[in-house]
Amino acid sequence: MLQAVRRGERHASEELLPLVYQELRHLAAARMAQEAAGQTLQATALVHEAWLRMVGDNDQGWQNRAHFFGAASEAMRRILVDNARHKARIKHGGGQIRLDISDLELSASTPDEKILLINEALEQLQKDDPEKARIVVMKFFGGMTNQEVGENLGVTERTVERQWAYAKARLFQIIRTQP
Amino acid sequence: MGLCESPALSNNQDATVNGRESESPAKGNMVKPSEEAFFEAALNLVEPNARRAFLEQACAGNADLRARIESLLVAAQEGEVFFKEAERFELPRSLPAAAAVGNGNTELSPDEGLGNRIGNYKLLQKIGEGGCGVVYMAEQEKPVRRRIALKIIKLGMDTKNVIARFEAEQQALAMMDHPNIARVLDAGATETGRPFFVMELVRGVKITQYCDENNLDTCERLELFIQICQAIQHAHQKGIIHRDIKPSNVLVTLHDGRPVPKVIDFGIAKAIETRLTDKTLFTAFEQIIGTPAYMSPEQAEMSGLDIDTRSDIYSLGVLLYELLTSKTPFDPKELLQNGVDEMRRRLREQEPQRPSTMVTTMQGAELVATAKNRHSEPPKLISMLSGDLDWIVMKALEKDRRRRYETANGLAMDIGRYLDNAPVIARPPTRLYLIEKLIRRNKVLFFAGFAVAAALIIGLGTSTRLYFLEKAALEREVVAEAQAEMARANEADLRRLAETREKITQATVLLNDERYEDADELMSAIQITQPTVEGAAVFRTLGEYHAFENQWKEAASRFTTLLEIDRLDGWDVGTLDYLECGPALIESADRENYEKFRQAAVTRFASGKYPFADRIIKISLLLPPNPTLLNNLKPMADGVVKSFATNADTSDDIFLAAWRSVSMALMKYRSGNYVQSADWCERCLGYQDYIAPRTATAHVILAMDNQKLGKTAAAKVELAQARQIIEAKYKVPMDRGTPSQGFWFDWQFAHILLQEASTLIESGGKTVPST
Repeated sequence: MLQAVRRGERHASEELLPLVYQELRHLAAARMAQEAAGQTLQATALVHEAWLRMVGDNDQGWQNRAHFFGAASEAMRRILVDNARHKARIKHGGGQIRLDISDLELSASTPDEKILLINEALEQLQKDDPEKARIVVMKFFGGMTNQEVGENLGVTERTVERQWAYAKARLFQIIRTQP
Repeated sequence: MGLCESPALSNNQDATVNGRESESPAKGNMVKPSEEAFFEAALNLVEPNARRAFLEQACAGNADLRARIESLLVAAQEGEVFFKEAERFELPRSLPAAAAVGNGNTELSPDEGLGNRIGNYKLLQKIGEGGCGVVYMAEQEKPVRRRIALKIIKLGMDTKNVIARFEAEQQALAMMDHPNIARVLDAGATETGRPFFVMELVRGVKITQYCDENNLDTCERLELFIQICQAIQHAHQKGIIHRDIKPSNVLVTLHDGRPVPKVIDFGIAKAIETRLTDKTLFTAFEQIIGTPAYMSPEQAEMSGLDIDTRSDIYSLGVLLYELLTSKTPFDPKELLQNGVDEMRRRLREQEPQRPSTMVTTMQGAELVATAKNRHSEPPKLISMLSGDLDWIVMKALEKDRRRRYETANGLAMDIGRYLDNAPVIARPPTRLYLIEKLIRRNKVLFFAGFAVAAALIIGLGTSTRLYFLEKAALEREVVAEAQAEMARANEADLRRLAETREKITQATVLLNDERYEDADELMSAIQITQPTVEGAAVFRTLGEYHAFENQWKEAASRFTTLLEIDRLDGWDVGTLDYLECGPALIESADRENYEKFRQAAVTRFASGKYPFADRIIKISLLLPPNPTLLNNLKPMADGVVKSFATNADTSDDIFLAAWRSVSMALMKYRSGNYVQSADWCERCLGYQDYIAPRTATAHVILAMDNQKLGKTAAAKVELAQARQIIEAKYKVPMDRGTPSQGFWFDWQFAHILLQEASTLIESGGKTVPST
């Protein structure tokens, strides 16, 4: 699989997703032990670590990294959203939970609730403007730098920075106006 | 359309055009780019008026567009906080098994199960998890049956490199043999490709936990801590830096009912250190490398190659801090909450609270509990910490590693001094004075004493020889990977530096025992390339020792080294060390080097802006100068004269004013201005402040002035007065002196001038001696 990614096949990036997903789950579970010792877990660290584990630090080809990080960001999104849904279900005693903006003070929402709100808004943005949605996935869930996102999408860092600012504003608008 | 394309363009259009254009609003896809472009441009205009003006012009007549953009701008601002907070999501503690993706068979690394075998080892029981791996108690079957601790690294690392790095250091690790160090026995790779380390099994609890559970008082804690320092010292002597000292790596076990601390995990932090060239990977990785609370500023910088034994000293300081106060200097959660750059900035710039202040600011219940755990009450604990212990901890935690203790042993010795009620090295502001005072204490045997010093020397000698033998063998046999080779070269450098520092510490101990010759020999071969406070103290003491023994050549050589050390750090400004070096050079009849010395001094301080320029004037004119040098001293002399115009002559500074008068008298004498020189001498003698060698010097210069001015009778009177004072002093053995009695070098200065004056007056000469 990784060989395929190394050869730069585009679809390999998609096939990589399940693999990355598993790896990230493993790593996240392993990291949890550290938290008590004063560590803050960060998605970006996990994703980079997963890259190291799966590809190693010898492979410096940015195209491979771009594929990988794209996939890892999406995997991280799914992990976090699944996790947040899971926790929300526990909290609300089971059943399908639909977050209702009217009874949820935005500033008082937990990070998990925020993730679900962002994810819903992101689904809408994906329909209007898929390119910005990809930037959000990579920046927010994958913790990638502007440079990394730029390499992935073939645009400049400055462009990434501008589009990310715009996308955030759009997302927050959507979140606030959601029914 | 022109309107929609670019905000820059729209600025050039007039309002009418804008208005007309906007009446045919572009819909759908056409709106988006303009909305986005305007939004971005407006977002960059932080100043509210500028932003308003821009929007008015850009959206003139299109209220709808403007509303959309303003709404976006508000969303951008309010959303900022929202996204920041959302980024604080917790990674899932237990992840939902029902993966939304995945097509099976992607399980990469099944956990190593109990009862399984890894190499020669059988896993028996999981005994710990955290840091970078899981620790198991395991049984070794061959070659001996024994229980060991086996740590499996969980980090996603390149196992081959980890093991290569470990092996590069294994020779040195194997030489560590200390009761307070858990030995690292072996390393390898599991079947799933994870690196593992085999260590001596230590059945103990974290040192902080042990101390609290047993209500150890502060002295008992310090005694345990001293043992830890000795363990680290031992490792440093072998060139091993721990790099990850923290409570969970220091376990306490009971041995015959007595607590024995054991430092574990030696060599592991080094081995799993990632070598990455890619900067982005680097910045991401540092977040999971270690607990930042124990990390030295230079470690946090992650420059990688620049870690040395003094990073361990810092971590020891943090550990000591926590043992004393129950807190670390920086709260680990707060350290990371604003990102890695902010963490680095704080570690680099923010001074931590002193331990006593930290305890004082605790909440009531916390304070009582902290004191109770230390078998104490709050006021007692606070007063115990403030003073010496504050200073000791803060010296270990210095941001600038050159100002930390040179060695772990140095830290331990200072704590020993505290326990013995002796003055501690760490205590400013009269740092140098105290070091000297300490070295001169005759009777005090601090805890390390001679036995430790001897053991250190023997140990170092043997281990160094063994090390080189081993290293030679290693180099013959192994064609190492380039990476491992680099690591070794780096280690060798570190070892050399560690040895230098170690020798300085040994010399400090020897000098404390008045074993000057041994200390002198120890220092004879070392090359100091880094600033070192303790090293300066050692060389100063050695120079003085030789001076008192009338071994001027040696004295001059030690003082010259001392000045070199001072200059490495800029500490020569305002120190008295120049005044020690000058007379020693002259007494050793080394005119050539005295010339070099005074040239360098004058060049160094030529701007005249230094507070003690008068000392440089004086020391540079102890022998007649050439005209160029004299000329170069003029700016300094002007500065000194100016200082009299301001405050130097007021009562609280008579001490310094009198010294400055002497310097000016000599300046004027060397310039051939005998009348003014005599005035400065009278001025000095007129102050209500008697310091014998200074008064004698003023009489000497005045005698020479009188001689030059033809008042030979007066010259003889002054000379006799000076001679009386000086000869009385030289009838007894010289000691260092004090500021109020005058130092030995002040006497030496007077003594050298007296000889010049005697020659001048007794020969009846009236001319300025030739240069």
